[in-house]
Amino acid sequence: MITSKDLHIGYKQALVAVSDLHLEAGVYILIGKNGSGKSTFLKTLTGSIPTISGTISLHGTSIHSLSEPERPKKIAFVQTRFPVVDFLRVSEYLALGRSPHTAFFGKLTDHDKEMVQNALEALSIEHLTDRHTNELSDGERQMVAIARTFAQGTDIIALDEPTAFLDYQNKSEIVEKLMELGKTHGKFIVLSSHDIDQSIASGANFLIVDSKEKKLSHYPSGTSKEVIVEKAFN
Amino acid sequence: MSVRNKSFLLALVILLPVVAIWHLFSGTIDIDGDTFWTAVTNFDSDQLSHKVVWELRIPRMITALIAGAGLSIAGLLMQTLFNNPLAGPYVLGINSGASLFVALAIMAGIPVLSSDLGIVANALVGAFLFGLIIISFSSVVRQQISLLLIGLMLGSFTSAIVSVFQSASGLEELKIFTLWALGSLQSVTLEQLPILFAAFAATVLGGYLVVKPLNLLVLGASEAAMLGVRIKRVRFLIILITAVITGVVTAFCGPIAFVGLAVPNLIRIVMKTQNHGYLILGSLLTGAIFLLICDIAIQLLETKFALPINALTSLVGAPFVILLVLRRLR
Repeated sequence: MITSKDLHIGYKQALVAVSDLHLEAGVYILIGKNGSGKSTFLKTLTGSIPTISGTISLHGTSIHSLSEPERPKKIAFVQTRFPVVDFLRVSEYLALGRSPHTAFFGKLTDHDKEMVQNALEALSIEHLTDRHTNELSDGERQMVAIARTFAQGTDIIALDEPTAFLDYQNKSEIVEKLMELGKTHGKFIVLSSHDIDQSIASGANFLIVDSKEKKLSHYPSGTSKEVIVEKAFN
Repeated sequence: MSVRNKSFLLALVILLPVVAIWHLFSGTIDIDGDTFWTAVTNFDSDQLSHKVVWELRIPRMITALIAGAGLSIAGLLMQTLFNNPLAGPYVLGINSGASLFVALAIMAGIPVLSSDLGIVANALVGAFLFGLIIISFSSVVRQQISLLLIGLMLGSFTSAIVSVFQSASGLEELKIFTLWALGSLQSVTLEQLPILFAAFAATVLGGYLVVKPLNLLVLGASEAAMLGVRIKRVRFLIILITAVITGVVTAFCGPIAFVGLAVPNLIRIVMKTQNHGYLILGSLLTGAIFLLICDIAIQLLETKFALPINALTSLVGAPFVILLVLRRLR
């Protein structure tokens, strides 16, 4: 359960208030205008920036009370742009996802290798294992980045506009995959998106930043397009 | 590790002692194997050849080895830290900091500063200070190219200040400084070697201490931070390591360009990996071999003309870096 209490988020001063959340595991799509605070929410959720006031907790533990080494064991983040690195294979990139769990020199245990293998299977990208990450297509990159968070084995996966640079087919594939994984793995998957039609079709829950009230609230799946547009963009 | 990389590293491990021994036997004074062996096992201070072995050959070989290896590791760490293949102690102005403070030591006319240790200490302070300046700029500028330009500007700025010192200082100081600035591997004495060795040991040890953060830093600082790297701490440690080895090498040998820039890039291209455990080892061995060979070449040419080490490393290194840039732009 992700819960929040009297949460206000922003940089230095409050940008958005968050109505008290009680979220069960599942997929949540974050919708709002540009600059409305979507990224700010993701950064707060991942503990990258402090809250202005109030708390946000995972299973009763405040995210901001987690130590730097503890946090990446519980929370993973996927940037919009996949880091382009020479000479880094998909399997090696996924193995880096295990680093919050590995010892000082980062040596992989059998369990770590198993987690990497499971992640490849969960995303159905075993065929990419030995490919270099800089030779992947945009769609493949996002799949690989998501697989990395699965290897990381976190409860929370936050994705900043994961479909922004993808074509229609890749967008659908990514969103469908996230929905499937959200159902089967009991994780909290939170992604921001600008594609409202696709988000509604996916059957995910919504976190909508109300543009007038400057308030982020939870809306269940099945919320109509009119309501979403009215709240987020009016 | 792939079989290919294993054989590559093994080849380097075999090549290094071969080149090192070759280096010991190069030089204008002819010393055969037997004489060398007697000098090592049964030193006689009356024999000129024995003195040459201990006072010239051995210190110079070890200096070349350590300077080449140390600067290459420093370059590797900086390239990964700044996520920029063109970063390095020379390009980012760490050398300039050391040079500026050495210039202060030699030409400011304060005797305490111009002792051996004084020069080393000054170079260390200068290198570290400029490292911190680069770090503080790196958190402000967004584009990596800006950081390189700032590094180059720091270099120009310091050389301008050094020129002011030069025009104001006496002939003797000017001569000492000019000779130092040309760069040479032969000015280190046997007694000074422990300082060089300590800095080198700290570099290798420090490098291996940050292997895991380095492997994550290739993904960029923000992604590394999200995977648990304590960025500020690691950054500070890497700058410290770089400053120690660059400062000490610069103090003893003068500024040596391009080794720290070219060698790690070559190693990445050859080894095709981002595992810094192997990259550090590869850079260490290749850097040592590269500078030993450069110094052998200098000694071979010595009878015809005296080529400063800095000039030779630039002659070889600069074209390589241009190739590297072209390769990346393609």
